[in-house]
Amino acid sequence: MEIKSTDRDDFRRIYDDNYHLIVQVIMHIVYNIEIAEDLTQEAFERFYIKNMTFPGEDDAKYWLIRVAKNLALNHVRRNKREIEMVEKVRHNPASSLEGRDAAQSAVEADERRAVRAAVDSLPENLRMVIQLKEYSGLDYKSIAKVLGISETNVKVRVYRARKKLEEALMTEDRDVY
Amino acid sequence: MCIDSQMLSAYLDGELPEPYRTQVEEHLEHCAACRKHLCDMKALDERVKAATFSDELLLRNKDRMFSLLDKKYFESGKKVSFIRRRLEVSVPSLVTAAAAVVFIFIGGFMFFGTSSEQTEDILPSFALQADSSNVHYVSDNVGLENYTLEEILQYLDSKGYNVDISIKGLQPLETAPAQN
Repeated sequence: MEIKSTDRDDFRRIYDDNYHLIVQVIMHIVYNIEIAEDLTQEAFERFYIKNMTFPGEDDAKYWLIRVAKNLALNHVRRNKREIEMVEKVRHNPASSLEGRDAAQSAVEADERRAVRAAVDSLPENLRMVIQLKEYSGLDYKSIAKVLGISETNVKVRVYRARKKLEEALMTEDRDVY
Repeated sequence: MCIDSQMLSAYLDGELPEPYRTQVEEHLEHCAACRKHLCDMKALDERVKAATFSDELLLRNKDRMFSLLDKKYFESGKKVSFIRRRLEVSVPSLVTAAAAVVFIFIGGFMFFGTSSEQTEDILPSFALQADSSNVHYVSDNVGLENYTLEEILQYLDSKGYNVDISIKGLQPLETAPAQN
């Protein structure tokens, strides 16, 4: 079904169906909920302002993910100097919203931190593939469309990302114990 | 021969087409090493997946943001082009506008003359310095040579100066000698 980005009902539907996805894609790049929300808003505003017609909901979704991803990557590049601050936020993810049982959440927070650091250390082309797969639940075909690469390329990148993550996390485990 | 890791990775994601999928499944049944490899891969995947953010955190402003966007773009029936035009003001035009404001402000003092009382009303702290006696024309394209002597004299006369002009070195015009 055709989607017109300036149609109120279409906009509402795309917003409802994709907000979670978009804020998550951005969050895994900027690691700061306030910034992630700002950029999410920006992505949806661009969606409206561009005044585009998409052949289907999926095309609108891929467009939004692409815009969100680029907004977030640009933000990180522009604010390299603030990275340390972001780092602090990432290393302190046990905010009241995430915290449950204190001890358990501390262990979980450590684990999350290690994994995020490992994912973050991947080269950008591998990182985006693995993040879209694991956190956005996209299949190879969708990832290929979002990133403008072939499905075979997605398959190769997923495999390489897994290999690198395994190495990074195993090194980390060795360091800890 | 064991399964290529890349193939196993695609199999784990459910992205391996037939007939490879069946081949992989058959191989896994009798190969403990590959089963372990797949198991490790799955465990890694779960670790990565677990490092996500809670829905509570991610969705905390979903409704608020929607009503904000809805109000901004749909409720008042604004047109796209109108919003864009209104938001986009180029830097040079901003600078020009700022310069114009400064120019008009200063020009107000320069061209209409000032008195302490007037200035006092507008800018109390500036009143002392901005008196007519302290503000001078600095433009150099309006010089004394633009006025005729008569105008200058009239002006000075109107100000109550007593002007005395004497002319030196004046020679009578040479008239053609009478040819007699």
